[in-house]
Amino acid sequence: MIVLQGWLAPVWLVAAAGAIALAIVLVRRRRDRRADADVPVAHSERLTALPGYRRSLRRYTVLLSALAAVVLVGFVAASVLTLRLAVQRVDRTDPATRDIVLCLDVSGSMVDYDSEVVGVFSDLAKRFEGERLSLVLFNASAVTYFPLTSDLSYIEAQFARLQGEFASPEQSYFDGTLFGDGSSLVGDGLASCVTRFPDAAAATDADAGRSRSVILVTDNLVAGKQVFSLPEAGDLARDRGVRVYGINPGDTESEDYIPDIADEFRSVVTASGGAYYALDDPDAIPDIVRRIEREQARVTAGPMRVVIADAPALAAWAALLALVAASVLGWAVRR
Amino acid sequence: MPGLLRRVKTTLSIGAHRRIAGLLDGEYASVFHGRSLEFDDLRPYVPGDELKDIDWKATARLGDLMTRRFVARRQHTVVLVVDDGRAMAARAAGGESKREVAVLAAGVLGYLAHRHGDLVGLLARDRYHPASGGEAHLERLLQTAHDAIRLDAPAGDLTAPLARAARLLGRGRILVVVSDDCPLGEAELALVRRLAVRHELLWVTIADADLMAAELVPAGVRDVESSLALPAFVRDGPALRAEFAAATAAAAKRTSDALERLGVASARVGSSEAVIPALLRLLEEHRRARR
Repeated sequence: MIVLQGWLAPVWLVAAAGAIALAIVLVRRRRDRRADADVPVAHSERLTALPGYRRSLRRYTVLLSALAAVVLVGFVAASVLTLRLAVQRVDRTDPATRDIVLCLDVSGSMVDYDSEVVGVFSDLAKRFEGERLSLVLFNASAVTYFPLTSDLSYIEAQFARLQGEFASPEQSYFDGTLFGDGSSLVGDGLASCVTRFPDAAAATDADAGRSRSVILVTDNLVAGKQVFSLPEAGDLARDRGVRVYGINPGDTESEDYIPDIADEFRSVVTASGGAYYALDDPDAIPDIVRRIEREQARVTAGPMRVVIADAPALAAWAALLALVAASVLGWAVRR
Repeated sequence: MPGLLRRVKTTLSIGAHRRIAGLLDGEYASVFHGRSLEFDDLRPYVPGDELKDIDWKATARLGDLMTRRFVARRQHTVVLVVDDGRAMAARAAGGESKREVAVLAAGVLGYLAHRHGDLVGLLARDRYHPASGGEAHLERLLQTAHDAIRLDAPAGDLTAPLARAARLLGRGRILVVVSDDCPLGEAELALVRRLAVRHELLWVTIADADLMAAELVPAGVRDVESSLALPAFVRDGPALRAEFAAATAAAAKRTSDALERLGVASARVGSSEAVIPALLRLLEEHRRARR
């Protein structure tokens, strides 16, 4: 809570003191003037001794005190309003300008991990405000399951459909991913994913300034001939300003994973500004995905900004209620 | 200011009051002079003479109303006991100052006494103005009472003049007490009891203003004793108005009952217009009480 026009406070205090002093002087003067004009009466105890009079006087006193209190509250509230109480907070500029491409290797061994990633993202997507999400499946060739979109209900429907396909024996999610020469062509897959973002030259204003990231889930075990090697795809990503986050379920001690392959994956990912996660348990995926999401939100958020917003609600309500109460009490006193 | 007695005379002769004022004159005569059977002489009729006293034969003979006079008439002494405390300078029930009503009431009885050849004296706060005859004397007495009643006068105290009356006056006077509208205490009632035995006592209470009157509500109202103002907002409301009216009526009844128990007739007057009817009623009551 900060005060924007604090210099008004002493002004109001002085004004209030002056008004009270003036009122006292005027009342005194009028009382003196009226004392002569007053009707002289004798034996006023005829009236003042009556219980009804005492009751009436007490009611009058109470009402008058309440009126004075309410007027005071109203004055204070109105003064506070003019001081402009405000709330100051530090905001990041619009954090929701992100584009994320899920890049899933759908070779046989990866399906469990892909399913987890999709599950987590279908949860995360519910909280998205303005983020755009795309899903690309690749094996020998890459298929855009759905393009970058912020249509939440569409995303959810697609995720649900994909989950169904993962579980069904027909395995139709394979469709279109086997046109290449080999399998698990990770370099080609990443390059495809990186090119799913709008071209920088053709980008509209709406695309400009949005952060771009790829979440690449693969074991990086390439079989066959690729057009892009993984480092070449990484260069492409860097050129296009795309962060690549890597999740490598194959990189565990239990399997004989070749360190060179892991190192290659890691270096490509880190060179793009992303992070690399090795794991062997699909249950760890949700945690990692959330970490990626948080990390990615942190590094892509805009600059910090100090936001000062007036917070007049409390004082305004107090002033309004005091005004109403003063009117009611004034009416009751006069009645 | 020779106007006080003139005002009394005017009041006695104003059209609407004329008949009732004549009645008052006759009432005074019949109460305090009575009739003996000893015929003295005839004189022309004056308003207020008892119809019984008109000598119809002489009237027929002379062509003018003639009244018989009886020797039993004797000169009375009327002493006006006027409360001249500052409370009497306050507003009366009728809206004028209680002083005007008090002086008028005292003046009417004093003038009736003068008309019937009686002597009039005044017991004021500080001294006794001995009884004497003549209009100038009566005017002086009224002036004295009128001037004594001021807002800066001392607080009223009825026991002092009553005690002085008990001490100074012999027997058989006609005491006209013009009293403030306050409850009578033990001391006052004891003095009244003593005085009532020795004198004829007429009691006139000057009624105080109705503090709840609508025309007083917007105005400032200040007590003459405490000089405290009564807030206007409190002097309103039908419930309190009724309560005040009941309390006022009860207090007035207590006073008149207390006096009646002592055989003293009393009247309560709140305005100049009410003076003559009230005095007429008072004299009637007094005559009835005496029999």
